[in-house]
Amino acid sequence: MSGHAASGGSRNNNNPIRRWAVACWLLACAWPALPALADEAERVAVADPYLELHTGPGRGYPIFYIAERGESVEILERRTDWFKVRTAHGKEGWAPRLQMEKTLTEVGARKTFRDVLFDDYLRRRLEFGFSVGQFERDPILTTYVGYRLHDHFLVELAVAESTGDFSSTSLIYAALVSQPFPDWRWSPFLALGAGRFENRPKSTLVNANEVEADMGNMAIGVRYYITRQFFVRADFKDHVALIDHDRTNAFQEWSLGIAFFF
Amino acid sequence: MLPAVVGAQTPAPVIEPEIDRREIIVPRIDATDLEIGVFAGILSIEDFGAEASYGARIGYHVTEDFFVEATYGTSTISDQSFFDRGIPIFTQRELDLTYYHAAVGYNLFPGEVFIGKNRALTSAVYVIAGLGNVSFADVDHTAYNFGFGIRVLPFDWLSLRLEARDHIFESDLLGKQEFKHNFEMTFGLGAYF
Repeated sequence: MSGHAASGGSRNNNNPIRRWAVACWLLACAWPALPALADEAERVAVADPYLELHTGPGRGYPIFYIAERGESVEILERRTDWFKVRTAHGKEGWAPRLQMEKTLTEVGARKTFRDVLFDDYLRRRLEFGFSVGQFERDPILTTYVGYRLHDHFLVELAVAESTGDFSSTSLIYAALVSQPFPDWRWSPFLALGAGRFENRPKSTLVNANEVEADMGNMAIGVRYYITRQFFVRADFKDHVALIDHDRTNAFQEWSLGIAFFF
Repeated sequence: MLPAVVGAQTPAPVIEPEIDRREIIVPRIDATDLEIGVFAGILSIEDFGAEASYGARIGYHVTEDFFVEATYGTSTISDQSFFDRGIPIFTQRELDLTYYHAAVGYNLFPGEVFIGKNRALTSAVYVIAGLGNVSFADVDHTAYNFGFGIRVLPFDWLSLRLEARDHIFESDLLGKQEFKHNFEMTFGLGAYF
């Protein structure tokens, strides 16, 4: 069973060697207590008549063991909607979330596993995704990372690349997204962003210049929540590149994307 | 008249339960949805030749059926056969080629593979499609790709993948602008975090 070393060393101690020495000494003292610390994995008791354990995290993998009601299992890790558990007899297998939700945390507790799992979902503030779309007449691929500041606001950092017949365009921008109705399944949003725009014409063209400019954009779109974990989004963006003080170029983009919380 | 209440009995003392607030510690369960891997294989560029390719990828398993992946790979492209016929295409014989793409994959046939009589490993046959970019000779091309593969997990944290993919991009290197199909076969190793 994996154990976690007791943290040692005082924060006031500036000497690294002294810190290590204190850490080792504390670890030596704490050694007898380690088996207790090592047992950090969550234990739940099976409440249904049985809990089926599969060989892998998916419904396509066969069931090789059944844990009985009352048996307590330790939760080792999660992958997608499946949990790797270990029974008291040492059997390790994967159980689906729906079956796990019916187990009880701690013997005799009234709170089910489902409640604590739901809290976990609500905590997710980081999201990332990909979008593909049309930038003027060329395909565009955008990757972004988003952080939820507030129920109605997110900040996003996006990198996009579009390559067409005549040139390639790169965009990097940060945007503030306003989501007035985050609870709706079809949730609209409005975003305002700024960043850099770079256009590299294909080398086979004559008299073609590379353009690098500041850029601002405005987006309007909608998110559709497929599950609590991921959603698809569609948006329309208007990018304005500030080429120089008296010239701007506007580009339109339509994109469809998929994004996840984690 | 209400009888005088003499020696009124005080009501039985109500039991004041002292409820200790129990600390609910939200379990910290490690999620191992992220897969980071490396791969090596052979990439064949239409009209040119087949060269070794290798790269790295990072994937996220969204559900047991779907996963997304970002890949970065590198290979070379050589116009040796054109040069030998007296019509060189590039300024050098061998050029670097890089590609990157984002892809969505679907685990079509999850199951097990059986090695010998005693070992069964979980596996999945999957299909994958993506969009990205292929770059060589200072030219970028938007590339689409699709393919299929088999993933085998000898341990829960390790994945072995054998994959075949077709990278499609438009190129006018040989005069005519047309879609080129470039097949790639790779073998990859990945770890789940």
